[in-house]
Amino acid sequence: MKKLFRTAALAAAAALALSACGGGAASSPTNVSPTGEIKPREISWLLSRPADGAVINIMKKLAADYAKDHPGFSLNLITTPDRPSYIQKLETLAAANKLPELFDTDATPFARQLAQQGKMVDAEKLLKSLNVYDSYRPGALDYQRFDDGSLYMIPFQFELEFIWYNKALLQKAGVAVPKSLDDIPAMCTALRQAGITPIAIDGQDQWPLERYVAYQPFRAQGPDFIQKLKKGDAKFADAAGQKTVQWLSSLGKAKCFQDGFSAQGYSDAQNQFTSGQAAMYNIGTWELPSLATDKLNPAVRNDVDFFTLPTTAGSATAANEYVSPSGIGMAVNAKTYDPLVADFLKFALNKYPTEYAATGALSPTTNVQTTVPANATPLYKKALDKANDLGTKQAMPWDTQLDPTTNTRLQQELVLLVQGNTTPEQFTSTMDSTIAQNAPKFFK
Amino acid sequence: MLPTRSRLSVLVFLLPPLLLYGAAVLFPILQSLFLSFFSWNGISDMEFIGLANYLRMFTGDDVFWRSFFNALGYLAICLILQLGGALFVASLLTSLRRGAELIKTLYLLPAVISTVAIAFLFVRIYSIDPVGLLNQLLHWIGLGDLERAWLSDVNTVLAAVSAPEGWRFTGLYMLIIYAALLAVPKELEEAAILDGASRWQLFTKIRFPFIRPVWITTVIMATTYGLRGFDIPYLMTNGGPGQSSELLTTYMYKTAFTSTDFGYASTISVFIVIECLVAVGLILVMLKRKADA
Amino acid sequence: MTAQAAPVTRTISALPSSSPPYRSRRRPSLYRTLSKTLIILIVIVQVYPLAWLFITSLRTEHDFATGDPFALPAALTLDNYARAFQTGNLGLNILNSFIVTMGANVLIVILGMMAAYAIQVLGFRLSHLVRGLFLIGIIVPVQIALVPLFIDYSTVNLLDTYQSMIIPLAGFSLPMSVYLFSSFFEYIPRETYEAASLDGAGPYRIFGLITLPLSVNTVVTVVLVNSIFIWNDFIFANTFVLSEELKTIPLGLQNYIGAMGKVDWTATFAAVCVTITPLLLVFLVLNKAMIQGLESGATKG
Repeated sequence: MKKLFRTAALAAAAALALSACGGGAASSPTNVSPTGEIKPREISWLLSRPADGAVINIMKKLAADYAKDHPGFSLNLITTPDRPSYIQKLETLAAANKLPELFDTDATPFARQLAQQGKMVDAEKLLKSLNVYDSYRPGALDYQRFDDGSLYMIPFQFELEFIWYNKALLQKAGVAVPKSLDDIPAMCTALRQAGITPIAIDGQDQWPLERYVAYQPFRAQGPDFIQKLKKGDAKFADAAGQKTVQWLSSLGKAKCFQDGFSAQGYSDAQNQFTSGQAAMYNIGTWELPSLATDKLNPAVRNDVDFFTLPTTAGSATAANEYVSPSGIGMAVNAKTYDPLVADFLKFALNKYPTEYAATGALSPTTNVQTTVPANATPLYKKALDKANDLGTKQAMPWDTQLDPTTNTRLQQELVLLVQGNTTPEQFTSTMDSTIAQNAPKFFK
Repeated sequence: MLPTRSRLSVLVFLLPPLLLYGAAVLFPILQSLFLSFFSWNGISDMEFIGLANYLRMFTGDDVFWRSFFNALGYLAICLILQLGGALFVASLLTSLRRGAELIKTLYLLPAVISTVAIAFLFVRIYSIDPVGLLNQLLHWIGLGDLERAWLSDVNTVLAAVSAPEGWRFTGLYMLIIYAALLAVPKELEEAAILDGASRWQLFTKIRFPFIRPVWITTVIMATTYGLRGFDIPYLMTNGGPGQSSELLTTYMYKTAFTSTDFGYASTISVFIVIECLVAVGLILVMLKRKADA
Repeated sequence: MTAQAAPVTRTISALPSSSPPYRSRRRPSLYRTLSKTLIILIVIVQVYPLAWLFITSLRTEHDFATGDPFALPAALTLDNYARAFQTGNLGLNILNSFIVTMGANVLIVILGMMAAYAIQVLGFRLSHLVRGLFLIGIIVPVQIALVPLFIDYSTVNLLDTYQSMIIPLAGFSLPMSVYLFSSFFEYIPRETYEAASLDGAGPYRIFGLITLPLSVNTVVTVVLVNSIFIWNDFIFANTFVLSEELKTIPLGLQNYIGAMGKVDWTATFAAVCVTITPLLLVFLVLNKAMIQGLESGATKG
């Protein structure tokens, strides 16, 4: 028996060593325009987008069109809409060295490691070689870039995040649209006194609350703060860090978010806003079909409006600079990159913007006009127009920036801070020591 | 032992099950042990770091200890609900003349529903805004002071995520205990009643000692399932708020698949394996000793 | 832990007899009414969620979003079912779950029976060791196998196959099956085997002619108990399966998650209702056999 165990352990060691070696080997630097014959075959795209959403439907159609001229070609779309499950899948596939031709990822530290190992095709070179680089919105590309400015992911969306509000509820509580981020706690207190839930938030998915921690530092120092913070070069104990910690704590004390928000999901939060119970709701343009069309509850339809992220006194960024994400990006696997993949991307990326804009969404490119749907309210157009008036800086969501361990811990500690279960001091010391412990592994 | 058995026939019957079992269960445990001495994020080279992961787990990781104690709390609540509930309902059922079959079936139903549905259902039940079933009930019976957001309150969340798991499988354990109770010889019970034993005495002196072997099995089953708990806390609160409902299993899962720290996750796995073995050992020792006393 | 749990358990079970014993014996009806009421209450608690699930699947989206989720719906609709079938691939998901459940069950039953036969009936010197090995599988949580199995599968190219789900599901259920079968085999009288042996039957014929036919009830029990877990398994399917064609029900339910985590809940509930129906039907038809099997397993400890 013992002998058997020893053999088994050795075999385990061998198997692991094998896969580790496979994982560690870097492939040769890629040529973005490979020469050779285009041999149609099936290619796969591992993605994390809604199964019945515009991106998938359009890409399916484009792949079918492409297959007409290239018999034998097919695009296998493998989607895992639930983001945590998706990330798990992506990371394990990367570990097993089994990534498909195309895969979705944000500009995370993990993706950066993949890029550094030569596993992804340089998207900037690729887009330039396809002659489409200049048609992309600079902001849409910047969102996908790593800190050093390199670009490895191609955007398929462009969204703007606003704070939607209910005019009637604000009026009832006698408050105005906030001029500064610092006005919000007092505003919440007034709304609460009028018996209104100030802000509806999806606490279950955690990214919405994490947006709030990014706002104050973005106003105070622009995008630099998070880039330094994630490496341990800035701290929550610094002035800018303390400002956001104190602000979040005051949001919690003013009971800005609905009771028990940490267990409420995306739909719960939206329902609170659209049923007229909550006064504000922070969400992006991907919700235009629910918030700016006749699908919106008639009882609140005429009262709904939005404002962009308020500034602060002496803010380093302008009012037209806020969160404008271009969604999860698509990376091209360097190992399987060949004339076929290049040719299909050329075909698809040229046709995609027109099709996408026709669905009423903002294209990541500037060469097409978004169609406003027939059932839209005037807000729809107003929201789309904001895309033409953006500054050069954008607030990055922190969940794509921090290393995963720190990110998980931050999400947990934020809830405790806002609920008043920890003090700002405890929060600061926990987070600073978590970053100090985990950041070096990812940002060597 | 069959007189006609041969060494070969034993092997023929034993080898296929052991192969599957070895490949799916034993070998992965050994692999975890092996991985626990490395630092590996899946895409970089594996780096041998000796006992550093264990050192970190025991001395430098507050979340690990928090999850460990949460897991014990979770287990305690599951055991009380499942075993206590099962014993209670089984005892009630023995006094019933008709309908026991139907009730047994109905009682097992929750085990059939997927955890995804159960998690969402209980999120609604615990909700405060809009008012969920539990808070509504409390309000009606005049305990309005107790109304709260059960899943957001760091003091109640652990109990709140444990209850659905306990509720789900009570039926299974109830069936087993009920069957055991039915097997208690009627003559013994009648003799005791003639001697003037109360219902309570009847239970502690006659019935319970008789079903003790079954009870031990059931306790072990419930304990091991309790220590495996994962889906419901993961789906309902994802361990939150903070780490208030983080269990060792969910923490291990996140360490592996969110933080891609496969080495450290394996270290936690090894700890879980040992924890489970120790727990079962303790149960056996405690319950056996009580039986002998 | 158990030390903590046991006393509480007792207190709870003491409740029904809190009235003085002599009175309850003279008026057994009081005790009986009390227990009946309690049983009815408990059954409501057990069944209500299933009913709620079903009713919610018939609600309109708007009603679900704005109304009291526990009140009766204002209007009933089948739209959710239409949407469920349109968005998802329910038929395929059910088929996949069926294949995985059946595949795993075949392995669990046959291999479990074989191992139990070897341990309990044939017997051998190290049978205690083997029993102990199987106990480990009952004790350790399934999650520990995820990382190693993923690595192993990718080296032998088993990722994204039915086998990748069936192997661990069967492996982790095997110990309980071995345990249930061996406690059943214990009950088959020695003499049956001895008589057969005298007639010249070898271990294979005895297995086929005596053990196998006698075990039908236990087989039903093992299959049903395991099916409940396997049908709803999320964790292995989620880790090892990628392509749409192999997705089982719990993964299929994820298709109702839209952008940024928005969920179409009423459609999801409709899908849940559709997907638990096969299991529920089998369960309702076979539950008597299953309960008997569990009970006979139980009374032997």
